Amino acid sequence: MSGKVVRLGAGMAFWGDSVRPAIEMVERGDIDYLCCDHLAELTMSILAKQRAANPERGYTRDVIDLLRGALPACVEKGVKVVTNAGGANPRAAARAIRALADELGLPGVRIAVVLGDDLEDRIDDLDRAGVSFDNLDTGAELDTVRDRLTHAAVYTGCEGIVEALDLGADIVVCGRVTDIALYLGPLVHEFGWSLDDWERLGMATVVAHAIECGGQATGGLYAGGWADVDGLETLGYPIAEVSEDGSAVLTKTPGSGGEVSIGTVSEQLVYEILDPGSYLTADVTADFTNVTLEEVGPDRVRITGGTGRERPATLKVNMGYRAGFVGEAQFTYTWPDAYAKAPRGLAFLRKRLERAGFRYTEDIVEYPGHTSMWGSRVPAPDDPDLLELVVRYAARCPDATEARKVFTESVPLYNNGPAGVAGVGTRPPLKELYAIWPCLVPREHVVQRVEMLEPATAAAP
Amino acid sequence: MRVADLAHGRSGDKGDTCNVGIVAWDDAGYATLRAALTEERVAAHYGDLVKGSVTRYELPGIRAFNFVLTGALDGGGTMSLRSDHLGKVMYAWLLRMELP
Repeated sequence: MSGKVVRLGAGMAFWGDSVRPAIEMVERGDIDYLCCDHLAELTMSILAKQRAANPERGYTRDVIDLLRGALPACVEKGVKVVTNAGGANPRAAARAIRALADELGLPGVRIAVVLGDDLEDRIDDLDRAGVSFDNLDTGAELDTVRDRLTHAAVYTGCEGIVEALDLGADIVVCGRVTDIALYLGPLVHEFGWSLDDWERLGMATVVAHAIECGGQATGGLYAGGWADVDGLETLGYPIAEVSEDGSAVLTKTPGSGGEVSIGTVSEQLVYEILDPGSYLTADVTADFTNVTLEEVGPDRVRITGGTGRERPATLKVNMGYRAGFVGEAQFTYTWPDAYAKAPRGLAFLRKRLERAGFRYTEDIVEYPGHTSMWGSRVPAPDDPDLLELVVRYAARCPDATEARKVFTESVPLYNNGPAGVAGVGTRPPLKELYAIWPCLVPREHVVQRVEMLEPATAAAP
Repeated sequence: MRVADLAHGRSGDKGDTCNVGIVAWDDAGYATLRAALTEERVAAHYGDLVKGSVTRYELPGIRAFNFVLTGALDGGGTMSLRSDHLGKVMYAWLLRMELP
């Protein structure tokens, strides 16, 4: 085994995450690659809607803020950036990054775009080729929601990223590649791993999973000891120093807040996984079962014991579809009889909604401060001396007109309902709902393509 | 004694499925929890917060359990009407569970 180590930094965990940790990591962290995950399930629906309104939008624009701060140091230090900020429009993201690089006086930056994840225009062809797109959870047929689709994106693997890096890209802009692929791509490129080297890919997947949610590995959300974590305000994001066998030492940006310990890393290892023996990705079926952690220095944790086996024959597709709107109202009752007033106020609201011809499919009542987290598992707040009780009512409605009625019909609580009410507030913005349609596509139907944004004219840094 | 006396944890979402990871502080705690946190007891503890099934997985190298709760997020993060639509605090409810 060679002594080569590849240093991967986790720059972003979601769209809207702070960009400062990534900038500080590039400046101070001695990393080779900055890997940035900007996408969540809901994100693609929002981005597809933006793209429909404007062909130059549809990517997460925080990547521009991030690169405005980080790109000069990336160029100076030779740090490459791999990001899925392209979202629903990777080409537009790449054009915007090109414009930014020019503005920053860095025209030599080579930008690659990885395509092939967007299935929206291929659904009919694939349907004719025998792909069913039946809902993975319910078995329902796609036709039931087809006219409401917002997007269709397949979780693609690392091959396109590897190709882009092999071509000499400094920035690789992807759409819906898996979060894991953002990390595997640089490792396969650097170590020359075969794409069927399941053990190494599996181990590296465990490493990637440990750091891909940024500050959640370095003391953020640390249930095991949040009060003892110093510097949450300047939390350093995680860095994996990956060896040729795929194992790694995890650490964070020098001089930053937070901690990297067995506690913080183990919590993140069990975050958002299903069967740890079969962690399915586009590149490998990873096995977390026997992962072990060892503290090898201050804020340094060695992670070993992960492995993997053959990747799934199918790729996961998430489609989004419009699923109505949420109507919501909130108000507060006070002593005396706060707990008795709340159901009377709710009955008032429901009766008025009924008279307004309200249509909805499901609704919910929560008492924030009492039952909004664990619902009926929590005893009713029936203390007769209760000083105040907040009532939150929300309903899923078929359209915006119905959803607006919830607030409208709650306003008369101020002068027609039980006494001792306040906090009805002003009309909240309506929230449109996007549902996820999970399904599968055989991987032979999905081929990634790499485009260099323009011919590479500058010398390698 | 509660689960919180022996372990810490974290939870999150995958569609309408919530997973709750529980990490024991030491081997003795792991053994105690291994016996106490059966799928049946965990399902009973969550009650109607979980409409589907509870499945337990083990990661012995880090003394952790992963509980996969289906039908646990009112339709999933993008659809849920719950204030905790992503299941971020579901772990804490399991940490509160009294141990026999």
